[in-house]
Formats: sequence, structure tokens, C-alpha cells
Amino acid sequence: MSRRIVLIAVLVSLLTIPLIAQSDPGVRGGAAGAGNALSSVLANNPATILNFFNDAKDRFREVDSVAGALSGEEGVGLGPRYNSRSCAACHAQPAVGGSSPFQNPQVGDATADGARNTVPSFITINGPVREARFPFFFNTNNPNGGVEDLYTIVGRVDASTCTSLSQPDFNFAIATNDIIFRIPTPTFGSGLIENIDDATLLANFNNQQSNNFGVSGSFNRNGNDGTIARFGWKAQNKSLEIFAGEAYNVEQGVSNELFTQERPLPGEDRNTGLPSTCRVNATPEDHTNFNTTAIGTLSDTVQFAMFMRLLAPPTPSTTTPGGSTSINNGRNLFNAIGCNTCHTPSLTTSRSAVTPSLGQATANLFSDLEIHHMGTGLNDNVGQGDAGGDQFRTAPLWGLGQRIFFLHDGRTSNLITAIQAHNSSGSEANTSSALFFNNLTTSQKQDVLNFLRSL
Amino acid sequence: MRRTFIVFLFAAPLLAQQSIVETAPPKGPALVYPKDVILVKGAEPSASDAKTPLPEGGRIADDAYRNDYFGMTYALPRGLKQPFAGPPPSDSGSYVLVQLQAPDKPAVLITAQDLFFSASAKTAADLVSYKKETLPSYYDVERPPAELEIAGRPFARFDYVSPVAGLHWFVLATEVRCHAVQFVLTGRDTKAMETIVGDLAAMKIGNAGAPACVRDYAAGTNVLYRVEPVLTEHKFNRIPVRIVIDTKGRVKHIHFLAAFPQQAAIITDALLQWRFKPYLVNGEPAEVETGLMFGGGATTVVKAGD
Repeated sequence: MSRRIVLIAVLVSLLTIPLIAQSDPGVRGGAAGAGNALSSVLANNPATILNFFNDAKDRFREVDSVAGALSGEEGVGLGPRYNSRSCAACHAQPAVGGSSPFQNPQVGDATADGARNTVPSFITINGPVREARFPFFFNTNNPNGGVEDLYTIVGRVDASTCTSLSQPDFNFAIATNDIIFRIPTPTFGSGLIENIDDATLLANFNNQQSNNFGVSGSFNRNGNDGTIARFGWKAQNKSLEIFAGEAYNVEQGVSNELFTQERPLPGEDRNTGLPSTCRVNATPEDHTNFNTTAIGTLSDTVQFAMFMRLLAPPTPSTTTPGGSTSINNGRNLFNAIGCNTCHTPSLTTSRSAVTPSLGQATANLFSDLEIHHMGTGLNDNVGQGDAGGDQFRTAPLWGLGQRIFFLHDGRTSNLITAIQAHNSSGSEANTSSALFFNNLTTSQKQDVLNFLRSL
Repeated sequence: MRRTFIVFLFAAPLLAQQSIVETAPPKGPALVYPKDVILVKGAEPSASDAKTPLPEGGRIADDAYRNDYFGMTYALPRGLKQPFAGPPPSDSGSYVLVQLQAPDKPAVLITAQDLFFSASAKTAADLVSYKKETLPSYYDVERPPAELEIAGRPFARFDYVSPVAGLHWFVLATEVRCHAVQFVLTGRDTKAMETIVGDLAAMKIGNAGAPACVRDYAAGTNVLYRVEPVLTEHKFNRIPVRIVIDTKGRVKHIHFLAAFPQQAAIITDALLQWRFKPYLVNGEPAEVETGLMFGGGATTVVKAGD
């Protein structure tokens, strides 16, 4: 009898534990809280800026083909190597400009228009959009870290001359632990980030020095002028235009005025890595267009940067999930246990010569734009600028509520797992994340999770 | 795992010159890279010799934390463990020495701030006062900064609470070798926290045999001869450096808190040529420890044409 009671008690406790433990509310439903232009852009201030934004958005959505001659794929310059065929295909969730969508377009990209690529094992239809990097050149201790494009244009109907170009050996890289991944960073509010003065960032850095959480970051400084770089997972890019130009070249294989040559893989021979038969177009494939309209004159790269610059930041929910009381409580707890030390809730932008919404505005980005040691668990052994293998830019949290995949490599869709990943040997976030797990009550943890999913 | 890594280190120089093509697997045995090991580092700590104790060189053994640089032996509070080591020293002179945690128990964070490189304080007491002055509005002060003695040393203590979290913070700081060594206790149970504070009395801390530490000693007329290091790559990061100058005015020991290896090599080459006025204690030459900042954090600006 007593044994039966114990058994029932155990079963009841097993069933109820999941109900009372905190849980990630999941991707916030409802309308996308992002994707629109800044309010002053919508008000067309200055005159014609809205036309530029709309044109930029169209270009961001444009699908590239090799020669731009395929219907619905009028963008020019795809490949010879590429990860996907359009900016918006990957920057999609919850709206154009965002991050990895529910359905990974890279599965279809592998064979689009006759291409004959094998889909690597780490690319799945319900998984995150990914770019792959090999931290080291195979069988050496020479750091590589460059992007290894997933696909080639071999077999495509518009690339008949390119008959021999191999995909990287991803299986070997996986077998030797020589591969890491990056997912697309959301670009909402990027113009605000771009317009935060270095002095503001340095003042915030100085304010952090009195923290009691063991946090002390640094900046990834531009190698040419020493100013603070701020875009990309490791804050390796100084400006949106550099960010756009590199992505266009690396992700879609489109040479442009910032990255002017077709790109072989990092380890390929510079002369023979890309056969001349696969270099289909004159370079740069994306360039300033002379003798057209004012908007049409601009290159895609310039307009991609403009689109990101003029995108409004995400709008948080004040009630979902969990209600306003829980969200407000979660915000206060987030601050109390020191998450806000790195995830600085807001910074003020400088005066803007572009449009009023970018000037002297409050950017609620939840980032200090510094790079921090994140320890062995998140280390990817890729150095970029001043950032070492385990140093990452504090990921801005605005828009987090509607993101599907977390961390630089999209390894999880669970917010709790993402917080847990802040804990590992060498991480600056160990103290704050331990306070979350060890010292908050279940209800308090839930409030923090609700707050984060409200962003 | 360890065997793999050793193979990796030995094999690498031999293979580095081979043609590198990732589209095909290389011939010969595959080199498997260890997981969860940071092999590609950014600016990192290093020193000119392996013998001299370093602030980041502490270790936990036999339920105690020992740090030869700070002359510290601290018995860990019962039930607390360090699941993960802290980050390397930062370029603003901050060290995480120990992080002790356990579910539902107070957390203990022991840090050190190199006061040579602190923008906000020149003493441990200053630092604690600064923490109080800059305390965010969502905390309430429970005990304003005050001096007390623990383990025979002057400490500054400051307590505050987060009403929304129900968590209390006790901050206790003392000065050792021009560092503010801080004990930060966080938890709900203030009685348990007071017990941990009480147990600090049994701690050993302080290194009587250490060189004198003097802020900005390597400046002005104390420097008799200097060679400027010329950085090539990574020119703009802050490079905090601690040096020990011997009784003859030569650099005896160099500790980089955060520097790229090439930077450390260039700066070491330069510093070993510097000559100083010997530091005097009661008229006798004595070793002295001081700090310098190179790179983007250097305080001097070379004007165009200089």
C-alpha cells in the first residue's frame, strides 16, 4: 500500500514538474513587430527618402541569378559560389530584414535552376540558415575562419560554361571538428546602431566598470583608423555598407564596388581556384549604374545598406507574453542580476544628416556593442579583427521575442538553453547567468523569459 | 582528447607548407581538433617569465583558493563550487579570480581591479565609494561604505539590495599590491552571507615580500632611457602592462594583462632596453612594481611631426 502511494507521488511529481518549471514562451505570435521604415522615412523626410527606402527594399528581396536573365531572378552575379540567392531569403523572420525563417531557403537553393549541389547535413528544412566556416585550414594549425560557401553554380541553366567546381568537403570538416556556423543577424534598427558615437560607447564602457558581475569587455576597433566597429557577430564590420558589400560577395557571390573580385574559397589557389569558365560576368557585377534615374544610379550594395539604415527598430509588446506585470517584473529582474551590464538597454544616437528618426534618438538595442569573452562553450575559434575565438559582440536583444534561432550558430530555439550557453569556462557572463539559474525563483525566471520574449 | 591535441601541435608545422584545398580531404591521417578549447585567442595575458606569480595565477585545490601573487589562501565556503573558471584579465585591468556558486546558496565572486588601470578609483576604498555613487536606482543601499578590519587588514564594505529580486549584495574590498581585491556576495539569506563574511577572518591575504607598487613610476624623470615599441598589427587595442623594476633600474619582469603575442614580443623588446632611476626605500634601492599602458590606451599622444 505504502509502496503504491510512493509510486503515485513520484508519478504526480514527474507530471507536475514540467508544469511549474519556467519555460520559454516561444516565438511571439501576432503581427510582426518589425519591418517598417523609420517614422521620419515614412513621413518622407527628407523629400524622396521614402522612394529610396522602397527601392532598397525591392532590391533586398531581389533574387539573383548568374546573368540576371531568368524570370523572377533579375539580380545579376550569383556565384560562382554562394550560400543563398537573395538577402531577404535569409533575413526574413519576422519580416524582411530579420533573421532565419521557419523554412530554410538553402535547401531549395542547392538545386535551384538546375544546380547540382549536395545539401550538407547541417542544413535542414526546419533548421536555421547557416554559413559555414572552417576555423583551421585542414590538417594544420593555420587559422582560416573564412566563409566556405555551401554551393556552386555548376549545372545551373544560366551557367553552362561552369562545369567543374566542387563544394567544400563538409563531411571531412565535421569529422575533424573543423567547422563552425553563423546565422543571419537581424538588421532592424541598424541605422540607429550605426549612428551611435564612439564617445557614447566609451562612456557606457566606463559606467560598466563598477559592476559586481565580473564583466569587463572591450571593443573591436577598425584596423585602419581605430574607431569602433559594430556590425556582425564579432563586431568586425565598421559600417552598414561594408557589412552589405561583404555579405553580397560572400553569401551570394556577387562582386561589387567594395569587394570587387569573384571570391575563391579561403584555401583555394588564388589563380586556379575559380576556373575562368565559372567567372561568367565582368566585374564588379554590382556597380554604380550610369545614365539612369537618381535611384537607379545607386548600386545594390549602397541600397542594401540604405535599407538596413532606414529600417525601424522592432516594437516590443507591453502585454505578450505573460501580461504587463510579468514583463515589467522581468525587466527589473534582468537589470537586477546584471544582464543589462552587457545588454545595455538603451544608448543615444548622434545628430543625423540622413533623417530625423536617426538623430539624437534612443536606441533600445540591449547591447553595449562591445566584444566579450563567452568562454569555451560558445568559442568558435574564429578570430576577426581584435576579437578572438570566444569573443562576441553582445547580441542586441531588440526583436528577440520573434526570433526562432538563438546564438551565433543557431544551435537552439529555446531561450533557456541560450541563457545556459552563457555559462562556460572563461565566460564573462557566468555570474549573471548563474544568478538567473541558482538564485531566482521559478516565477522570477518566468518573468525574465516573458520580458525577453516581449522584445 | 589530450593526445589529439599533442598530435595537433606537432603535426602542424610539418603540414603548414602543404597545398591547402578544402574541397578535397587531405592525404594521410586526419587531424581532429579538440572541442571546447580556445585555440584562436585575441589579446591574452602573458609574462616574460614563468616563475614570477601573476594575479590570474590562482588555483583551487583542497577546498581552498590559493593565489601566490596576492599571498592569499581562502577556504571555500561549504557547499560552494566553481563550476567554471572566469574570463582572462581585461584590458581595463579587471580580473575574475574565483566564481563560487550553488543552487539556492549565496554566490561568491572574487575579483581584482588593477588600480593602475582603473578609470574610477586609485584605492580600494575609492572603488567601493564609486560603486555606491554609481549604484543604479533599482537597488537600495543597506549599508553605506564603511571601513572595517578583516584578517588583520583594512577592508571597505558596502551592502545593497534589489527589492524586486529579493537578493542582497555584500561588497568587501581590500588593497593588495595596488589592486582592489573584492569579495562580492549575492544571495537571499543574509545570515548565510554574514557567516561567509565572518569566515573571511580566517583567510590569509597580503604579500609582505612583494615589491613596492607605485602608480606612474615609469614616467617623467624616473625614466632615464626609453625605446618606443612600434606596433604593426592590432594597433588600437589597449595594452595594460605591469612591470617590476630591479634595484639597478632595469626591467626584471613584464606582465601583459591583454596583448596579442606579436604586441607582447615588440613591447618586451623595447621595455628590456628601458632604464630607470632606482626606486629608493629609506635611501636604499628597492624593487618596484608599476604599470604602463600601450596601444590605443596609451595616454601620451605623439603629435604629427614629432
